[in-house]
Amino acid sequence: MEDKEEFDEGEIEYTSYAGEHHLPLIMSLVDQELSEPYSIFTYRYFVYLWPQLCFLAFHKGKCVGTVVCKMGDHRQTFRGYIAMLVVIKPYRGRGIASELVTRSIKVMMESGCEEVTLEAEVSNKGALALYGRLGFIRAKRLYHYYLNGMDAFRLKLLFPKPRIPQIPSQDQTQQEYETFPRPRE
Amino acid sequence: MKPVGEEESSSSIHHDSSIPSGDNSVWADVSPLLSAACTDLQEGELINGDNFNLFAAMSALEIMDPKMDSGMVSTFYSIDEAIESGFAPVPISSDSTVNVQSIIDIMDHLLACEATWHMGHSLAQTVFSCIYVLRPERTSSQALLHSYCRVIRATCRAVVSVVSDARTNEEEDLFTMTYGLPFSGDEDAKGLLLLNAVEETICRQLRACKATRRRVLEALVTCLPSFMHFLHALNCMRRPQGRGLELARKHIAYCISELDSVLESEDFLRLNIVENGGNEIEESTTASGRSPIGFDPTLNKRLSAPTPPRAIKLLSWKKAIDYYVKLLHNLDQICVFSLEPDLEAVLQFLIQFQKSSPDLVARAHLQLLLVQDGKLYGRDTFLTICARSLALDVSKNHGLHTNEYILQLNQLMVNLLKILCANTPWQRRKLGKILNDWSIFHVQMGIAVGQMMQHDTSRASKNGDKSLLILNHIYGGLDEQINWVAIRFLMLGFDLDLYSPSEYCMVYWYMYIILWKLAERARFRVLIVVNTEERKAKRNKEYSRDMAREDRISLWVLFLKCQTCLAQGLTVMIAALRNEGMCLKSQGPFNTENEKFIQHFELLQKASLPEYDAYESFSKSTSHARLDYLPMYEYFHDAQKIAKDIKVGYANDPDKLAEVQGLEKVAERNIVAVNLFCQDRSLKVSFEFTHHPYFATAVVRRS
Repeated sequence: MEDKEEFDEGEIEYTSYAGEHHLPLIMSLVDQELSEPYSIFTYRYFVYLWPQLCFLAFHKGKCVGTVVCKMGDHRQTFRGYIAMLVVIKPYRGRGIASELVTRSIKVMMESGCEEVTLEAEVSNKGALALYGRLGFIRAKRLYHYYLNGMDAFRLKLLFPKPRIPQIPSQDQTQQEYETFPRPRE
Repeated sequence: MKPVGEEESSSSIHHDSSIPSGDNSVWADVSPLLSAACTDLQEGELINGDNFNLFAAMSALEIMDPKMDSGMVSTFYSIDEAIESGFAPVPISSDSTVNVQSIIDIMDHLLACEATWHMGHSLAQTVFSCIYVLRPERTSSQALLHSYCRVIRATCRAVVSVVSDARTNEEEDLFTMTYGLPFSGDEDAKGLLLLNAVEETICRQLRACKATRRRVLEALVTCLPSFMHFLHALNCMRRPQGRGLELARKHIAYCISELDSVLESEDFLRLNIVENGGNEIEESTTASGRSPIGFDPTLNKRLSAPTPPRAIKLLSWKKAIDYYVKLLHNLDQICVFSLEPDLEAVLQFLIQFQKSSPDLVARAHLQLLLVQDGKLYGRDTFLTICARSLALDVSKNHGLHTNEYILQLNQLMVNLLKILCANTPWQRRKLGKILNDWSIFHVQMGIAVGQMMQHDTSRASKNGDKSLLILNHIYGGLDEQINWVAIRFLMLGFDLDLYSPSEYCMVYWYMYIILWKLAERARFRVLIVVNTEERKAKRNKEYSRDMAREDRISLWVLFLKCQTCLAQGLTVMIAALRNEGMCLKSQGPFNTENEKFIQHFELLQKASLPEYDAYESFSKSTSHARLDYLPMYEYFHDAQKIAKDIKVGYANDPDKLAEVQGLEKVAERNIVAVNLFCQDRSLKVSFEFTHHPYFATAVVRRS
């Protein structure tokens, strides 16, 4: 059994990326928990270009979780991308990751993103459940995506389009029929 | 990370004056500039140019970080250095028994390396981590080791060739990367001849030697021929038009039986090892549990660019053997395939073949067999195949072969078969994409055929030219093909675990729509076939109708109808459970079911499958479903009844029969489940795929 930290959810403080002093905290957290090696340039690429999409969670002054994201044009859509999400083990299962990622997604939505994507390992049940609750679908499976030979899911969250008044369809009868035709013998 | 130059500045900079500086440039010492830059920049800072993107950021290496710096950790600087240091001696030992044992270990380890390579790791870090394989000429005094090294190189070449020719290598580009490795030469024949000679020598030695040595040699005799047969099998399978399949099958059978004896010999080889623990042996890459001599995975680190090399974990010897057993069975499956010029048979075979998740090498072989020179099996054009599925004969209509629509159709079919040989994740993505190509082609061909029919003076058909009729029928058959691709796309989503239970309702609704259409189109084809056959029989009293084919298509139609009913039943059942609050709705904080629907099915919608607003239709047809809605039972009852009826028809096809039995069980269990829900609405519901991979069974539990 892992040691679980005793704490009250109200004690967790969330903050947006606020500058250079946050960078070592993010790097050490990701380095500890994720298998992929990232150079400092990768971190800088994200936090300097999209500081507003990066959040940290603190418990009594200790950084216990972080999310790092980007957004930009991708094949005629403006899309957000969640690059790294980490909560250290003793603090997992208490909604910290959900809160971090929800904050990023809200900023993406307000910034005009049409969708959000990310990759997650097929065996990472925790992450898949978390993103499933937020409305992500498993859009694709990526064969041998990770270097350990594991597959990944590409998860996607599509935001609703602004409502445009619809002209009623002309051929209602056809549709009613196609809805549930009985199989013919 | 240390700034570049910090270490360099202390040592003297020496550049190679033999490298010319070029016309407009001179060599200059940049150390002072670098030092100055270093004082300006803090550790880890970067100057961000406009073209600095994620790829550039991810490509940056931290020098001396063992996770990233490919040149950092290596035991030897070069192969020569390794050889000079005595890392891979020839002979390995002066004691001939120890020598042979060590060679067996090398062979075992190479087997593990080869299997690991097949699973998608680089050749440089696996098979070519062996100095004996890298420099086979050194081993010429050791006939056994020498011939084996040559055979394994030939086998690697055969495998690279089949995979690169098939181009099914999908994302596994790493597989065919051989640059920088000594990969050429005509070793096949030489290696095999040598290996044959070695085998004979060993057999002779066997008759006149002591007990311990005899057991070692026996072990060797059992495993040696399997390598030869494997290479022979691969080569036979490459013969055009499947002509070598029968012989390949014999070699495969040898290999399989020899692998069984290899597994038996493992126990003996392990008797000699006492110092290793049990677990270590399970993980070991050799049957004996000893470490092999002459391997260094860091040797080719500098060749493994463009990706930074990663520490790879080799498959254990046992897992490698399991891998080969599976590969051989998959290859055997290919060899027994009948090569009938029948599209349905091919598609059914492909789906059946993919059920065991065959690995890349087997899939590449199948693809090369199916599609050669743009023809099925390198023999039949797709015009002939498509026409045959409609009972039409195109032997008199030579002009059709150059018709632009027929040429395009040929290309679409070739692509489709290739995609169906790919790994299932990639296959699904590609199927989604080609749906659009098929549907555009369908529209274009429809317009063209329509115009041709209008301008037809009917003189041509009187002259016996049936081209237009054939084109028209082929056009009619396209719709069935498109819906077949669509249903495969939807069903693969279950194989790949892409649907969550809260999405099952929409998935089954969509499957229902596609299956219904598919069954209708197939039924239409039955009518065409029966009609054509009847006319032929009327004209020619001696004409023997292919009743088996007619029965087969009719059975296929019923099979589709059975699935249609199940999909319909599941849609209504899950919708009812949702509407009555017994099942979770698909709703998150940021979007609704509508967005999930769009994302899951946008590729089908783009291809006009169906032609109307699918989401609106889906919500209308499911929003009022209730548990006491009687037709729900009827759908399951219909499915059950059809399944019962068609079981007889599939008596000679065990795979299909098992599937139909599964469908019948799904219907049966769901009828029971629905009865239970109606009696007690506090029951908890979940879904299982115990009877069929795509059709769920509801399971109830007291809360």
